[in-house]
Amino acid sequence: MIYLQIAANGLVLGGLYACIAVGFSLVWGVLNVINILHGSFIVLGSYVALFAYSYLGIHPFISTVIAGAVLYALGYALQAGIINRVVMAPVLITLTLTFGLDLILNNAMLAAFTADYQAVNLAHPLGVVQLGPVFLPGDRLAAMVLALLLTMLLYRLLRDSRIGRAIVAVRMDRDAAALMGVEVPRINAITFAAGAFMAGAAGALLSIIFPISPLNGPLFLGKAFVVCVLGGLGSVPGAMLGGLVLGVVESFSSYWFGPEHAVTLSFALLLVLLFVRPSGLMGRRGYE
Amino acid sequence: MLAIRFTRISAAAFVALGSAILLGDGPAQAQDVLKVGAPLPLTGPLSPEGLKQKRGYDLWAEAANAKGGIKAGGKTYKVEIIYTDYASNTPRAVQSAERMITEDKVQFLFAPFGSGATKAASAISEKYRIPMLAPSASSQEIFDRGFKYIFSTLTGNETVSEPIAKLVAAKSKNIKRVAVLARNDLFPLAVAQEFEKAVKAQGMEVVTSERYTIGAMDHSAAVTKMRSANPDWVYASGYINDLILIRKQMNDLGLKAQVITMIAGPAYAEFANTVGPLAENITSMSWWHPAVRYKGADVFGSTEAFNAAYAKKYGGEADYIEAGSAACGAILQMAIEKAGTIEPTKVRDAIAATDADTFYGHARFNAGGQINALQPPVFQLVGGKPVLLWPDAIKTGELRLMPK
Repeated sequence: MIYLQIAANGLVLGGLYACIAVGFSLVWGVLNVINILHGSFIVLGSYVALFAYSYLGIHPFISTVIAGAVLYALGYALQAGIINRVVMAPVLITLTLTFGLDLILNNAMLAAFTADYQAVNLAHPLGVVQLGPVFLPGDRLAAMVLALLLTMLLYRLLRDSRIGRAIVAVRMDRDAAALMGVEVPRINAITFAAGAFMAGAAGALLSIIFPISPLNGPLFLGKAFVVCVLGGLGSVPGAMLGGLVLGVVESFSSYWFGPEHAVTLSFALLLVLLFVRPSGLMGRRGYE
Repeated sequence: MLAIRFTRISAAAFVALGSAILLGDGPAQAQDVLKVGAPLPLTGPLSPEGLKQKRGYDLWAEAANAKGGIKAGGKTYKVEIIYTDYASNTPRAVQSAERMITEDKVQFLFAPFGSGATKAASAISEKYRIPMLAPSASSQEIFDRGFKYIFSTLTGNETVSEPIAKLVAAKSKNIKRVAVLARNDLFPLAVAQEFEKAVKAQGMEVVTSERYTIGAMDHSAAVTKMRSANPDWVYASGYINDLILIRKQMNDLGLKAQVITMIAGPAYAEFANTVGPLAENITSMSWWHPAVRYKGADVFGSTEAFNAAYAKKYGGEADYIEAGSAACGAILQMAIEKAGTIEPTKVRDAIAATDADTFYGHARFNAGGQINALQPPVFQLVGGKPVLLWPDAIKTGELRLMPK
C-alpha cells in the first residue's frame, strides 16, 4: 500500500516540476536561449505572492496571475531591450548574457529581501486529503492542479491563437516565418515574456510549498534543466511528461535506495535517455 | 546592502585612523593594528549563517575598540577584521584563508561557517601556525587529528544529544521508537549519529534512519517511510531551509510524533516566524541561549552586558552563532592580553591554556582545541518562543509531549 503513497508523492512533485520547467522549455525551444534567469524569475514570483499575501491578504492562488503579469512585463522589457540584440548569436552568447542578468537580479533580490528564508503561512490551509492509506496534501495538490491548468492553457494558446501560431512558426523556421510577415523580434519578446509569466505563476504557486529565498533560484533552474532535457525542448506536453517522470523516479528511488541517492539515479536515467533518445521523450514529434 | 555596509565600515575605519593621526591622541603606538581574517559565506545558501558570524565578530571588534583596543606588551592594538566572501563554496574558503595569511598578513583567523568548511580551512591555519577560532564547528572529525591551531567554542555533538535523550526518557516510558532524518553533510550527519547513540543508550530503538542530499527539494519519500515505521519521536538534522520544508512535509503527509526534535534551525528566531503554527512544541538544542547568566573577565563582562550590546547594535536577541562568534573574539583578546604579545604561536599557547569565565560560559579547551566546559541548553518552542528545559539552573518550563 505504501507504493500508492510513494506514487502519489511522485506525481504531485512531478506536477510541480512540470510547472517549474514549462516556461524554461518554451524559451529554449523557440528562441534557442538558455534562460539562466528562469530560477530567479520563479523566486521573484514567490516574493510577489508573499508580499501580496502578507500586506494585502491576497491568496497565492490568486497572485499567480499578478506574479505572472509582473514577470511578463519584466520579461518583455528584458527581451525587447537587451536579449533581442544578440538573439541570433550562438547559444553561448545568450547564455552568458542571461547568466549576467541573473547575477544582477539575484543580488538585487538578496539586497532587497535578504537571504533569510521566508514562507507564506496560510491562515486557512486546505489540510490533508486522506484516501484510504494515501495522504494527499491539499495545498500541494491544488497548486499542482492549477499549474497543470495554466500549462494546458499555454498549450491551447500556442495552438489556437494567432500569436501562438506565430510563436510556433518562429520555432519551426525563423526565416520562413519572417518572410510570411511574422514580426520576429516582437514574437521573441512575447515568447520570452510568456516564459517569464509561467515562471512568475509557478513562483506564486510554489510560495506555499517551499521556503522563499533568492538562494533557491539555482535549485529551480537545475530542475527545469533536467525536466526539459528529459521531456524534449520547446514542447509543452514534453515538459509535463518530463516533470512527472522525474518526480515519480525521484520518489521511488528515494524510497528504495534512500533520499541521498535520488538525484544520482535521476541523472543516471537522464544519461541513459540521452543515449537512446537524444531529443528527449517528446522532442521533435511536432511543434505543438 | 553588503557593499554599503562594507564601505561604511571602511569609511569609519579611515575616519578613525585619520583622526588618530591628525589629532595625535593616545600613546605614540596607538595605531598598531591587530588583523584578524574571517572568510565567510556572505552570499549563497549559507549566507544567513555567514551574516550571523559577521554580526558576532563585528560586535566584539567594536567592543574591544571602544575600550581603547587590545593591550599587549606595552602596545595597544586596534582590531581590524578582514572579511572575504567565499560564496558558500568550501574550496574558496580555504583559498581565501590562505590568501589572508600570505597577502593580507593577518595574525589570526576566525573560521568559516560549519564543521565542513572549518575542517578544510584548518589545514591552512595549521600549515602557517596561525590560531583559528571557530564559532560554528562541533564535529569530532575536526579535533581528533592532533591539530594545534584550531579552537572551537562549540562543545562536541554528544553534548547536544545526550541531555535531550535523558530528558525524554525520564518524561515518558512510552517513547520507544525513534525515526531519524539527517542531511548528508558533515555536521548534520555527525550530530544525528551521536543522537542515535544517545537514544539507544536510553533503551530506545531507531526504527528508520534516512539521509537526504544537500539542496534536497523534496522529503516526501523519507517522510512516508518514517510514517510507516510509526515512530514516537522524530528527529531531523539539517539547516534552517531543510528543516522548514521537512516540518511542512511531515504535516502534509500526516506524520505525527509525541516529540519532534530538529537541529540546527529552531535556535534562530526566523525558524518560528517562518514555520508558524507548525513550530509549536518542536524541541531543539543550542550551545548558548540569551537566558543563560554568566559573569566573565572578557571585554563584555557578563551575559546581560553582551545581550544589551547586541540589542543596541542589531535589535533583538543573539543566537548561539552570534554569541559564539563574539566569544571567539573575546577569548582571543583575553589570550593576547595574557600572552603580552601578538606573536601567533605564543597566543596559541595562551588560548590553549585558557581557563576563565566569559559572558558565553566557562572557556576551557580540551587537547583537540574544543571547548569542554559548556552545558548546551535544551529548549522547546511554545507560542513561537523558546522555553528552556535543561540545564536545571536556567530551566523555565517542563517538556511537553504532543498527541499522536
